[in-house]
Amino acid sequence: MRRDERLPRPPTPAGRVLDARLHLLSRQVLDADDVPLTTVDDLELRSTDDEPDQAPAVDGAITGARTYTVTALLTGAALATRVLGGRAPASRWLRIDWGRVADIGTVVRITGTGDDLDATWTERWVRDQIIRRIPGGDHDPE
Amino acid sequence: MILSDLLDLPVQDSTGGRLGFCVDARLVLDGPAGGGPLAGARLHGLVVSPRTRTSFMGYERSGVRRPWPLGALLERRHAGTFLLLWDDVVGVEGGRIVVADGAVRYDAALER
Repeated sequence: MRRDERLPRPPTPAGRVLDARLHLLSRQVLDADDVPLTTVDDLELRSTDDEPDQAPAVDGAITGARTYTVTALLTGAALATRVLGGRAPASRWLRIDWGRVADIGTVVRITGTGDDLDATWTERWVRDQIIRRIPGGDHDPE
Repeated sequence: MILSDLLDLPVQDSTGGRLGFCVDARLVLDGPAGGGPLAGARLHGLVVSPRTRTSFMGYERSGVRRPWPLGALLERRHAGTFLLLWDDVVGVEGGRIVVADGAVRYDAALER
């Protein structure tokens, strides 16, 4: 921004300020054991007026009169649409609830382990269906 | 909504005048925690760039101005980037973000 075009400073909010694309998107997600799980591909935001089981608002139903908060980090199917445009059905999103986010820095850390997350189902499937069938693949190396 | 519903969309005033493109969404961690360690992340505003849909690592929102050739190039490319508070957004319709008349353009720089 040109320095001779100084704009007023915005009202200072009470909490920590993050820019979503700058501080969250494409960040690696680690669990409490520092195991890499996935990356943040998109964010789900819901209005406080939305019912919990209601599909998130789409174009035409989004208004500045409502307060939106981040309810989940999205990963998986959200990446293709973020790059190519469009919108995957909500049923295809792999969600990590915002309540599990423990810290945001150079990586995003979540509480607990990633074993119970939908986002890691492919790793569990490969482990159980392929790796485990390889002789010696069902236990730690001795 | 998902964040992609906002990013890269053209931003217009109520008469259809173009203000720029939404290059980022500003969040504030001041909401109810919702059972987690972090406060809820509320959508506070949109970062709007008059010329471009992209932002190079948030350069225009930081105090970084070096190396000089890169700084000069990006300062020119992102000149006029501003923050629009979410309260000033009328709605998102037809693939564009419509802003209320009299919406204030704020400095988009992040606190250092």
